[in-house]
Amino acid sequence: MSQELTHWLDDLLEEIEGIKVRRKSGRRVRADVPADTLPALLELLQGRAGYIHLSAISCVDWIEEDEFELVYHVWSYESHSLVSAHIRIAREPGVYLSVYDLYQPAGFFERDIHEMYGIHFEGSPNMEKFILTEWDGPPPMRKEFDSEAYVNEHLSWQEYNPPWLQELIAEGGGVIIPPEEQRFSRKKD
Amino acid sequence: MSSIKQIPVITERKGNPLARVFDEFVRFCRSRSLFILHYCTGCGAIELPPAMTSRFDMERLGIQPMVSPRQADILLITGYVSIKTLKRVILTYEQMGSPKYVIGICSCTVNGGMYWQSYATAKKLDEYMPVDLYIAGCMPRPEAVLAGLQKLMDRIHSGEANSWEDYFRNYDYYLGNQQKLFGENWQTPTDIITEAKHYDLIDEGTFGKHTQLLEQHQKPLEALDMRLGHDLKEPTE
Repeated sequence: MSQELTHWLDDLLEEIEGIKVRRKSGRRVRADVPADTLPALLELLQGRAGYIHLSAISCVDWIEEDEFELVYHVWSYESHSLVSAHIRIAREPGVYLSVYDLYQPAGFFERDIHEMYGIHFEGSPNMEKFILTEWDGPPPMRKEFDSEAYVNEHLSWQEYNPPWLQELIAEGGGVIIPPEEQRFSRKKD
Repeated sequence: MSSIKQIPVITERKGNPLARVFDEFVRFCRSRSLFILHYCTGCGAIELPPAMTSRFDMERLGIQPMVSPRQADILLITGYVSIKTLKRVILTYEQMGSPKYVIGICSCTVNGGMYWQSYATAKKLDEYMPVDLYIAGCMPRPEAVLAGLQKLMDRIHSGEANSWEDYFRNYDYYLGNQQKLFGENWQTPTDIITEAKHYDLIDEGTFGKHTQLLEQHQKPLEALDMRLGHDLKEPTE
């Protein structure tokens, strides 16, 4: 049964131009496609192969190659298999098409990616702030955002050995076991 | 025996000696009937159910969970405080009636813990509100939580746990740190300065440049319209 399905899926995927299919296991397929053919691939998978569930859209920032990678994970409840469609888009201007008209949950994923990476999805119903409602800095998941520098600028650190910790140690609390004694790998007999 | 030793002996006695007896009695009662509001921000919250329920049984110390901030005595903050959460924590803290105590559980409230370089979490809780006690650990066991609570009880009994007064006495410092994080237009729906006057806790640190900044753009606080039923308007088409 599953063998038949996989052959059938391979035949179906060959209809897309420029596609590279790699079968990672019996139930996982990775497909690399050019960015402009992704809507056609998703439409084919949804309409003719039963991949009706978009479980996630993930994003990777390849800063050295100046590209964003978007991964669309679609799941089929009939063949119990996952197809991950990978595309690459240019980092600047970072604009891509929304797949909201095919998969409605994409609205949330795209809004999230817009917030974290600053990619704009054309045709997505809502590009407002999602989780970081009170954030007005740059998109924080981009590789050029230096989180530690931001923390140094906006927040202050706890001092290394504050007086209340010294009080605790004097009473027998706090961390009084050095790592050499605590970790079994470093323990000496 | 140990608790008897801890009763402070006051050598100098002026005025009515019974007044001190009464204070002592009030502090004793206060330390033995504590209601905690657990603001479960992170993973430390998972240690509270065993601490509360039959195995470790917090209630034998007279400590019970409470549902609303206005009825609670202790604010337990159990884990990392993101900047978005911190706003809500401050609103909750300011709504609590005095005397109130804050306990920071887990390493994250002490120094950010494993989120030390995260742009989204505050690193030191005691910059934004006075903290009575930290229970460090990642995460502290229910025994540690109970030991911390017992220590707080002792401190309330001996009159040392008065950091809630510090919020009124040094309001400018706390407000300044809040403004640094939330912007200059930061305003809570609680009027701390009027409250400080009510408790007679105005000090040098109550006013400063940050409270001046607050006064400049402060929207006047209005009482909520108390009325039964819904006031929903019909949608206009």
